[in-house]
Amino acid sequence: MSSVIEQIEQRISQLETRSVKKNTGNVLAVADGVARVDGLSDVMYNEMVEFPGNVTGIALNLEEDEVGCVILGDAGHIKEGDEVSTTGRLLSIPVGKQLLGRVVDAIGGPVDGKGPIEAKEHFPIEKIAPGIIARKSVDQPLHTGIMAVDAMIPIGRGQRELIIGDRGTGKTTIAIDTIINQARINKQGAESGDPDFRPVYSIYVAVGQKNSNIARTIDVLEETGALEYTVVVTAPAADNAANQYLAPYAGAAIGEWFMQNGMDALIVYDDLSKHAAAYRQISLVLKRPSGREAYPGDVFYLHSRLLERSARVDEANGGGSLTGLPIIETQAGDVSAYIPTNVISITDGQIYLETDLFNQGIRPAISVGLSVSRVGSAAQVKATKQVAGKIKLQLAQYRELAAFAQFGSDLDAKTKAQLDRGARVVEIFKQRLYNPIPMEQQVATLWGIENGYYDSIDSKKIVQAAVNFREHITARKTALLERILKEGAISDEIAKELKAAYEEWKPSFDAS
Amino acid sequence: MTGKERIKRYARELLNMSLDDGRVDPERVEAVLATLEKAPPRNYLSILRAYAKRVARELARGQAVIEYAGGLEDSAAEALAASFSRHYGRAITPIKRPNPDLIAGLRIRVDCDVYEHAVASRLHSLARDVA
Repeated sequence: MSSVIEQIEQRISQLETRSVKKNTGNVLAVADGVARVDGLSDVMYNEMVEFPGNVTGIALNLEEDEVGCVILGDAGHIKEGDEVSTTGRLLSIPVGKQLLGRVVDAIGGPVDGKGPIEAKEHFPIEKIAPGIIARKSVDQPLHTGIMAVDAMIPIGRGQRELIIGDRGTGKTTIAIDTIINQARINKQGAESGDPDFRPVYSIYVAVGQKNSNIARTIDVLEETGALEYTVVVTAPAADNAANQYLAPYAGAAIGEWFMQNGMDALIVYDDLSKHAAAYRQISLVLKRPSGREAYPGDVFYLHSRLLERSARVDEANGGGSLTGLPIIETQAGDVSAYIPTNVISITDGQIYLETDLFNQGIRPAISVGLSVSRVGSAAQVKATKQVAGKIKLQLAQYRELAAFAQFGSDLDAKTKAQLDRGARVVEIFKQRLYNPIPMEQQVATLWGIENGYYDSIDSKKIVQAAVNFREHITARKTALLERILKEGAISDEIAKELKAAYEEWKPSFDAS
Repeated sequence: MTGKERIKRYARELLNMSLDDGRVDPERVEAVLATLEKAPPRNYLSILRAYAKRVARELARGQAVIEYAGGLEDSAAEALAASFSRHYGRAITPIKRPNPDLIAGLRIRVDCDVYEHAVASRLHSLARDVA
């Protein structure tokens, strides 16, 4: 027996004294966070390389004579002639539930001062998206808690829905509201003890944003209790372009872990305009040929390979989903610019936010005419379909009529009624920020407007009335709300109960 | 083709002319230089620099630079070089360089590959792991 142990120990001692082989190169030049390296003959594309001082880089340009590496840390002390070595590892980051509630940088390092992350697994940042066979069609809803979205532009689990608009139109707010709503539903699901309940975990990727904005977002998530279900990946404006370029892929890798392990996740890329700008910066420094608006030729692939990673996969591949909410900032409402059109064509629909609507006080400032969800309606709950099926058309007609009615004063009764109803629908969709509305309350509210219970209320008081009604049914008709949630459709009985609820509430509101 | 690419291609062709049986031949290098001097091409200096770089790289491919701390017998160096020749499938000659910074052991460089077998590198990786 002792000879066996000796054999093993001999083998261990052989391994311990084994020499380490490295493939190395030397820095030729460093500029703008990019190093040109001579050598590194065995380096792989996207491989992590090591610079002196434990600084990591990624090999992005493999040329005949030299390798272009982006430096992920402080490039200040790297000088010409320094030795660079390969690591044999592709860039990967920690993944798993241990990341929930944490704020990490583009390579998965914690930046929230809460100590190290004890992740058991690592996923490569770049990964090929699930293929056709592995995918399943979108048929489960992802409720945002924003009535206008859930009613008219429904989102399904595994969908990619673009949020697009000028600066300051509430793009981030929609995304944060959605994250908050997932946390609310997760808590509700956990309390219900339903074994079939599938929580949705969120990943918020902040690219090129001000640190103050990111801190504010984290505060909101913390205050609303959503942070415990969320991973925040940050690459703020002060970070180098390489980190900003990598952050969305890092977020996608974190989300993919949930998807591959049979869970549902939501990822927000805030925003991909800045991501494209960071990639343009890297590409120009790497001397890659530039095209339209100085973006490199593969800027479409930059976003398509990222967004294709959002999917709903079949049971053989984990059975989970990753829903993507990319954000794009437009300039002066120009959706036909290069990056917006690219991302519009990649995604399964878009929520378009208009500055004019925002300034008119219509918030969320969703332009119903230009917003669309290409696959979400298949995932919409039947109850919502029943009450909101005609609303999009009604709103579109209202906008046309309202524009037309500006030129004339004499309107027939039908047109006037349409205008009145439209104005009330616009009002009812107004919603305070960080205040998602549960699906069953949305259904009850929309049922009321469809059945004319808000027609006699002054349009200026509609928002107040809707809030008041929701408070009323939450306090007094819990069973009805639970039934709507459970059955997912409005049966005759539910309709009767809704009618009774409105008739009970209406006089008290009118009197107030 | 840009100017830089043209220079690179020219230098590559000159290197090919300087090889004999896959190894840099000093006589051929001399002949190449003499020919260039007679009729200097456009961007002569840049071409010469690129050529020098390529020749140096080619020479490095055939050398095992053995840095060592303490002593290293010539026979041991020869044995190492022979082993590398077998491994890489080309003739490799040893070049010995004393380096007391290694504390003890060897550091061998063959082209881009570095084989670390020294106390200093162990200490370095230990310090990195602890950090």
